Amino acid sequence: MNNPYLPDIATIKEIIQETPNIKTFRVVLNDEKRMQEFDFKPGQVGQLSVFGVGESTFVINSPPTRKEYLQFSVMQVGEVTNRLHSLQEGDQIGVRAPLGNSFPLESMKGKEILFVGGGIGMAPLRTLLLTMLDKRDEFGDITVIYGARSPQDLCYTYEFDMWQSLGANLVLTVDREFPDWDGRVGFVPTVLTEEAPKPANKVAITCGPPIMIKFVLKGLKDLQFADDQIITTLEKRMKCGVGLCGRCNIGTHYVCVDGPVFTYAQLKALPSEL
Amino acid sequence: MSLLEDVKAKIKEELPNLDCVIGWKQGFDPLHATPHFMRTEKDVDQLIYDPLCAQNLASYLPGMKDKKVGILVKGCDSRSVVELIQEKLIKRENLVIFGLPCSGAVDLTRVNDEFGFVGRITGVNFSDGKMEITTPDGSSVLEIKDLLLSKCQTNPYASPVLCDHDFSPSGGPAICGQGESDALQALEGMSLEQRFAYWQYHMDRCIRCYACRNACPMCVCRDHCIADTREPHWLSQETDVQQKWMFQLVHAMHLAGRCTECGECERACPMNIPILSLRQKLNREIKELFDYEAGVDPEAVPPLLTFKVEEANINERGW
Amino acid sequence: MAAKTYLTHEDISKWLEDMSSQATVLVPASVDRAVKFVPYDAQTQIVLEHQATAPPKEAVFPQTETLLKYRYKKDTEHPETQPLEVKEDVPEDKVVVFGARPCGTRGFVIYDRVFTSDTITDPYYKARRANTAFITIACDQVENTCFCHWVGSHPADSEGSDIMLFPVQGGYLAQSVTDKGDQLIKQAGGTKASGEQQKEADTIQARVREELGEAPDISDVPASLLQIFDNLDFWNDVSAKCISCGACTYLCPTCYCFNITDEAYGLTGKRIRTWDNCMSYLFTLEGSGHNPRMTKAHRLRNRVGHKFSYYPELHEGVFACCGCGRCIKHCPMAVDIREIALRAKETADDEQSVSA
Repeated sequence: MNNPYLPDIATIKEIIQETPNIKTFRVVLNDEKRMQEFDFKPGQVGQLSVFGVGESTFVINSPPTRKEYLQFSVMQVGEVTNRLHSLQEGDQIGVRAPLGNSFPLESMKGKEILFVGGGIGMAPLRTLLLTMLDKRDEFGDITVIYGARSPQDLCYTYEFDMWQSLGANLVLTVDREFPDWDGRVGFVPTVLTEEAPKPANKVAITCGPPIMIKFVLKGLKDLQFADDQIITTLEKRMKCGVGLCGRCNIGTHYVCVDGPVFTYAQLKALPSEL
Repeated sequence: MSLLEDVKAKIKEELPNLDCVIGWKQGFDPLHATPHFMRTEKDVDQLIYDPLCAQNLASYLPGMKDKKVGILVKGCDSRSVVELIQEKLIKRENLVIFGLPCSGAVDLTRVNDEFGFVGRITGVNFSDGKMEITTPDGSSVLEIKDLLLSKCQTNPYASPVLCDHDFSPSGGPAICGQGESDALQALEGMSLEQRFAYWQYHMDRCIRCYACRNACPMCVCRDHCIADTREPHWLSQETDVQQKWMFQLVHAMHLAGRCTECGECERACPMNIPILSLRQKLNREIKELFDYEAGVDPEAVPPLLTFKVEEANINERGW
Repeated sequence: MAAKTYLTHEDISKWLEDMSSQATVLVPASVDRAVKFVPYDAQTQIVLEHQATAPPKEAVFPQTETLLKYRYKKDTEHPETQPLEVKEDVPEDKVVVFGARPCGTRGFVIYDRVFTSDTITDPYYKARRANTAFITIACDQVENTCFCHWVGSHPADSEGSDIMLFPVQGGYLAQSVTDKGDQLIKQAGGTKASGEQQKEADTIQARVREELGEAPDISDVPASLLQIFDNLDFWNDVSAKCISCGACTYLCPTCYCFNITDEAYGLTGKRIRTWDNCMSYLFTLEGSGHNPRMTKAHRLRNRVGHKFSYYPELHEGVFACCGCGRCIKHCPMAVDIREIALRAKETADDEQSVSA
């Protein structure tokens, strides 16, 4: 019988130090058959276990179109993430995935896509971005506005050329001037307003620190984006990941089952308990 | 005018200068009082005061530190207020203390023992040291002295130790209970093995609800309790005797010299575990070593919160 | 309706003895004046006259449960690796819960809807639920804190039970409710209930219903609670005397929030599930330090909301509350959830009439 609490064991194949406190882990499930059959949609999350320490939730940020490994980006904040960061390639962890809902990919086909990300918020966006770039013809213009506090806090810098070569327009920014940075300077919401994308036939997906999301949402509304044209992902403390333990709910909606992907229209209908 | 009317009048006088005054009102049935936060004259009219008003309202004060608050206290409650002042967890100038007389608070578990099933009580009446209980089947009269909480046996301060408005008959402290509690005396008569077995038995019954911890006015760790934290990982979440016993020991140690024996921990416990005796025992040790009683003198510093080079009763060098 | 069997108190003792050879039989016993469900043995003083202090929740949803065990193995040939072995620990013992009240047993009907739904099956819960039988006693007395009739139940509610026992002179009339109950009743012996005994049982039940009185209509409380969600004045007021302990949560037959933690002992360890308390500050505290339910007002709002609003909305109007009244009886500060539900309705109605 399928036990939703029992993780698959996976081996860490590669670790990339993205920023001083963010690492990306590329893992492969030990059970080969299970790895081959593993299926998920962009936006879904997984609970990574370090046995003896605990579990934490991370979005699967590799796309379902590239399944040589499953990728998770982890920021060091607490007990489990600290221990994850101390692991080496070859170590084993538990993976409970896929959990939660996914981006409404079908409804985005034929539209123009705007990604607005900040810091580690790029992680869930990367999944969807690469899924779309791997099926480039199905979508219109794809633009990514991505910023961070400093050049060192940008993730996936080694992939930016690849994203552009596959057909994404990339607008990078950092919060203020830095000596080695000759690119754009400004907060992500400010850059969004400067770029002034038109809402017609567009979908905007945003993820980042809460304060950034707050201003990006305002910016998008000022640019006349409708509530159901804006999509974001929520974060909550999670334990069971299957809508039972009562921790991550906002009213009747469990973020681990009915989320983490929500449209702005859906968020407005929920009680204000973010 | 009766005591209650006098108190209500005084509260109404002070109310305009205060955010609220904390007292008691009728709970869900005649046998239960409940804390009452009075802000309007209508609120004050609901005030009650009888031996069922067992709750120690001082627990609410640290959360209202920066507001001007009035509080009704019995003798034992006033000690908690004083200890909170001693430790600077509340500000004396923000408090208006209404001191009430008390000759004991009723333990509902003992009412259950003496009277029988208390689930259907329709009326309660107090007069002359007696409690009359009415149910649909009739009524009984019990002696209040047979129904007291265990802390009433040992608390020597029947009148409030510190107050702004004193409603107790004579100003100074009077003897409420005398001697030692039954539970503590029983423990003193046991061997070490017997005592350990006693506590293992009780900890097995504990459901780890933390009512004892949260009801304690002196508990300062609050949301950062070692029982819940994983950094450092003192206790596992397993429900075994070891974890529960460890928690009780740590809590008792945190309270050594600070516990004012208000008895809320024991009253709050849904499983009737006599945990007050653990804390009382530590207080007896502190009294012997430092000649100190918690919550009596607002100027005093609790002995474990300070340091002296030479201790009067601890002869480190001279034996 | 199946014929009832009359069991004397002696029949019951023998029946319990027989059943304990095949399963763990849990009975309510007084341990230092607190009544808890403990495994039966001949010396146990069983207390059946009143509701037990703690509900029989632990029979199917234990306070601590091992979900899996893990072991890091040492490989001396390849010391740089640490092969990992993980094993789940699904329970298999048979249990009979004897002597609960309908409110205690009915708690599991609430659990069933979430733990074994179309989308998710909790194998640990499912195994325990399938392996547990409930022999429930209909109430012959009402307490001031009883409100089962507010939430769609009643003192003789058989939902969730396998056998119902109706009190009469000298013993009980036993009635089987499920196939599992049929099997157990066969072992019980006893005699066929007479017409007078049936009448006696019915009279007692009618008296109890009358004592319970009328229930107020709380069908619009779910909507009221959502409406006053942002009314922090209301929530600060009703939560002012709450001390955020956990007595209400841990004694509640329908509370099921839990925590999952890893406990390590060197190279081995286990992942355990334990009861958790949504009234605790740490419950929703995130790694970043942000806490969506910062104060006790927010947390009480969530607890009342979950029981009287969110659960009914997701489950056809069924309240996640069985009306047993334990939370009211054992709250050190006498917080009364009935009062909160009614005041919520009143406040929502007032708000609506003001804006109308």
